[in-house]
Formats: sequence, structure tokens, C-alpha cells
Amino acid sequence: MRLLGAELVESREILPGQFIQALHAPHLATGSRAGQFVHVRTGDLSGLVLRRPFSINTADPSSGTVTVHFRTVGRGTEWLTRLRPGDPVDVLGPLGRPFEVDARSRHLLLIAGGLGIAGVRMLVDEAIRDGRQVTLLFGAASARDVYPSSLLPDEVEYVVATDDGSLGHGGYVTELVPQYEAWADQGFACGPAPMLAALSRLAATRRQRLGVAKLGRKRGAGRPDQPGSAAARRKAFLQVSMEQNMGCAVGACLGCVVMGASGTPLRVCREGPVFAAEELDWEAGW
Amino acid sequence: MRARRRVVTLRETRPAAPRRPTIARRTASAPASGVERVPIAGPPVIRADTPVDLSIELGRGLVLPNPVLVASGTFGYGVEYGEVVEVERLGGICCKGTTLRPRIGNVTPRVTETPGGMLNSIGLQNPGVDAVVDRYTATWAGWRVPVIVNVAGESVSDYVEVVSRLDGVPGVAGIELNISCPNVGKGGMQFAIDADAAGSVTAAVRRMTDLPLLVKLSPNVADVRPIARAIADAGADALTAVNTLSGIAVAPSRTRPLLGNVYGGVSGPAIKPIALRVVYEVAQVVDIPIVGIGGVTELADVLDFLAVGAVAVQVGTAIFADPTLPVRLVDELTGACRARGLDSHRPLIGTALPRRTGASSAKGAEYRP
Repeated sequence: MRLLGAELVESREILPGQFIQALHAPHLATGSRAGQFVHVRTGDLSGLVLRRPFSINTADPSSGTVTVHFRTVGRGTEWLTRLRPGDPVDVLGPLGRPFEVDARSRHLLLIAGGLGIAGVRMLVDEAIRDGRQVTLLFGAASARDVYPSSLLPDEVEYVVATDDGSLGHGGYVTELVPQYEAWADQGFACGPAPMLAALSRLAATRRQRLGVAKLGRKRGAGRPDQPGSAAARRKAFLQVSMEQNMGCAVGACLGCVVMGASGTPLRVCREGPVFAAEELDWEAGW
Repeated sequence: MRARRRVVTLRETRPAAPRRPTIARRTASAPASGVERVPIAGPPVIRADTPVDLSIELGRGLVLPNPVLVASGTFGYGVEYGEVVEVERLGGICCKGTTLRPRIGNVTPRVTETPGGMLNSIGLQNPGVDAVVDRYTATWAGWRVPVIVNVAGESVSDYVEVVSRLDGVPGVAGIELNISCPNVGKGGMQFAIDADAAGSVTAAVRRMTDLPLLVKLSPNVADVRPIARAIADAGADALTAVNTLSGIAVAPSRTRPLLGNVYGGVSGPAIKPIALRVVYEVAQVVDIPIVGIGGVTELADVLDFLAVGAVAVQVGTAIFADPTLPVRLVDELTGACRARGLDSHRPLIGTALPRRTGASSAKGAEYRP
């Protein structure tokens, strides 16, 4: 984690109201992993007192740039869209804990709902670099919100679902999961809370439904991993990237918590944003 | 910037310049130069490298190295910002509100941005006083910066019990009683709105401990002065003014309030005028030091709080946007003192207060919207 003076390199409206901005920040480009995020300061002029958290969408160490992907939802994000190449951007990052991919996983199933694509996008690149096969299930309200396949590597199997049936499967993206989960070694998801809750229910019943053995559980294999540890997350079938209103993004203000399965709130910015699905209490309604 | 530096260089040479010459000396030495330089009467000369003493005592031997603290709830336990902040250069750290037993806090959403500020309703989530002592006090004991533990409770006995477990623990430099959390049904708010209750909880804690004791005032009252007086009379060493103001935000759907807890506390620049008013009023009725807090985002805010009688300030919400702000304020305050020819910030305290309490010029203090 560092405070960085980044510089806007490029800003593109890839979908109506959705932007991808490239920032020159070599420390982030080389030092961040899929699932981590940055906390971006917006202009002081409008009296905005909080930074805006964004998943690191892609990172390119060779050019020293990272990208963020966001939707304009208020004055902060609108301010960002008015930036021009060369403008300075104050960035705190990289923050949070990344996705944990088991070294033995060959096939990864990524599930993204809407802007949740920003949370798993960098994992696509990492997985392909490491020679894994990736299927990306993407859900959106309608065809006009579907993430362009041109922005994805060719190696990805990209499957789309739209709520109104205007493109791909008509219905929720979670309905596609049963067709692909048997093939997958691990799943990674980011999107609206109801989608993640549905996925966590699928993941919890996966072993019964499919009769799959849990990864990494050798006979008499020592102590069980500490819940929330990187090792425990690597062994979980489903990891989710959570979203929450955020204050400090370093774990100080306790604003961005989600309820943990043990009854203790977990900080999205510090213990997360990536969690193993079983670490969270999906019924708590937080 | 450059111009000012040149002035400083000029002044630096001044002490070496000849003293006001007497007739006798002039006759004796008979200088060849026609013009004598006579020093101009003016403010004391402060050289650029002269140390400015920003230290301030809050009572019972609690001396802050400088008057810029970080506010409770915005800086965790001092360890979260890691290497981003030079923690040891702060004037003090008020840690997250600590209660007797662990608390899981309020349902989410807990924070949202509001015009010129933010609204939070964390609900005093904390691991409990014993866990705080176990996990953090050893680290604090190794720091030069004093750590003041913010204590919250539901009853007088809660407060006394928490403080008794902090009393004598190395690393705990002082106690800040949070009797004004607006986000918890029984967050001690009942103590902050009544002078008798505020006085009795302060007195009970005072009997328990010799640690420096600050009490944090709530702005959510009709008149803060009797409460402040009661707390001071009960033996508090200093006051913190103010806690957040109670407020709500509405969810984008407009079908319910936004925060999970409905109510939250407003902080940030939006509340600065209110905080200044409270400090201004309290400073005229108590003799103990006041730590001002509410919307400090730049040096001007620090100077404003000092002017209305605060001896130190806490920075809170602004840390989220700029974690390095408090340390920078220390440097800027040092610079501001030098620019005014001061070797301490103490002459800046209370300059905007009426000359005498109760004088006709204090009429403005009675204004209440």
C-alpha cells in the first residue's frame, strides 16, 4: 500500500455510462494481483471528502499502467470522466487481498454480474498467463450492457446471459453455472449481492450434487487451515469479491464490513474484498 | 516561496548587526562608513531553523509533542495506515471507541458521503478492551506519540470497568470518554445530553484512574455550556469538542433511509462552523484545555480552532481523502508560527475570544439558530 501520484493515460467510454481509464502507475502495474483494488481521490472542488474504491481491472507491467472500470453514478465518478490524459490522479493502493488460485487448478470458472466484471477481469489475464483455461460467465440486464468481447483475450470462453434475453441466455447468469461447474476446479465471482448469495448456495451444495472431492485434502494432512487464510481460500471452490460503501479502505474506520460466518464482521477493505464463499454469512442481510 | 526565503536570510544576519550605537562608542570607534544601520523595532526574530515548540499539555502530565491529533474512529488503532503515515510525527492518536465487551457494530451500509462531509454509523464495532490491551498496547508503548484510548459504554459501571483495565497499562497515555456516540441506542449519549449525568460519569472515572482524562462533548444538545462545566468540575483534565452531529441520508430508491442504522453521525467540513461555535462557547466557561474537532482539512481550520480557544485539534474525516494531512498540518503550523515570529503556537490560542467573559462584546455567543 502506497500513496501514489498516478497520471491518466487514457479514458474510454466502453459502454453507455461505463468508462475504462488507464493510469500510469508502475508500482501498481508490477505490484498488484487480481482482486486487489485502489482508492482514488476525487477533486476537492466539489466538497467530496471520500475517495472512490475501484477494482484493478487490468495491469500491464511493461507499460507501467493499470486500468479501472467504473460506471458514472455520482459527482465523484463524473469528475473522473472529465479528466484528460496527462492529468494527475491521487491513488492509494494496491489494497485488499487478491484471489487465490490453487497451483493445481487447470480450469477456472469466472462469474461476473454487470460491473462485477471489473472485479474478475484481471484474473482472466493472470490465469491465461499461467496457462489455465478460463470460462467467463457474464450477466447483464440487456445486450446494451454486455461487456464487449473485444476487450477480452481470445483464449477465454465467454458466455453471456441477459435478463431480457436480448443476447445469449435469457435469464440470470447463475442459471448457467450448473452447465459449467463440473468442469471447473475453482470458481471466482463478482457482482450484485443476490447473485453472489445464489452462487454461494450452489457452491455449498456442489460436493453433494456432483460428488466432487474437496481440493487439497490429503489423508491426515495436518491441521486445517485458518479460515480466511490464503491457504484456506485456495482450497475453497468459490471465492467472491465483495462490494460495500467504504471510508478509509485500510481497515481503520470499519465502515465497509460484511458479516462473517463466525458472527464477526469482516472488513471488505482488509480481510477482503475477496473472500471464500464459506467465510461469509449470506443470510445476515448485511 | 522564494521571496519569503530571502526575507528569512536577511533576518538571520540581523543578530550579528551592530547594536544601537551610543554616542560614546561612535566617538571611540569612529566608523568610516557614513550610514549606521539601526535595527527596527519589531516582532522577535525567529530564524528558519529555530525550533518552534508546538508541544501542549492536556493535564496530568500528558504532553502532546504537537497539537494535531487524529480522531477516534478514523485512524483505527494507529497501525492500519502502515507506512503511508509517519505515525510518530502525530501529536496524538485517539483510537477507535473501546467498550468492555466486543461489539459487532451496526448493520450496513455504515458510511456514505454527504455534502461537504460524510455520515457514519459504525456502531462502536470493536474487539473489547481486553483484546485492545492484548493486541495493541505493546506497539503503542514503543511509540513516541501518545495514544489516547477512546472509551464508550452503556452505564457508569461500564466506563469505570473499561478504564480500570486500561489504568497502568504501558502504552496508554490517556483516556477520552466517548459519552456522545450518536449511533448506538445506549452509546452513552444519555450522558452527554445531561449535565448531572455527564458530571457523574466523569467523576466516577476520575476516582478510578489518574490517567489524563478527556471527555468528548456532543453537539446534539441545546446548550453545551452547563454540560462542559459539569464535566470540568467533576475532574476532567480536558475536553474534546465535538463528536458527530446526528443525521440521516435517504437511499437512492427513496423508499428508506440509506444507512442500515437509519441514524448516523455527520462529520467533515460541513460541521466546522458548529464545532467552532461549541469550542467558542465552552472556552468561555471552563478553564481546562479544549481539543477542537470538526472539519479540519487545512491549516486555516487549525488556526480557526486555536483562535476560538482550542489548544489542539483532531483531524478525522479528512484523513480518508488524504492520510498524510495530519503530519503535513504539523509542518504547516510550524511554518505559520515562524512566519508570525512565534516560537510556539500558544499565542495563537483564544485570539478570537471576547476579551472578558460576559462583556457586552460576547453577545454573539448567545446567538442560536
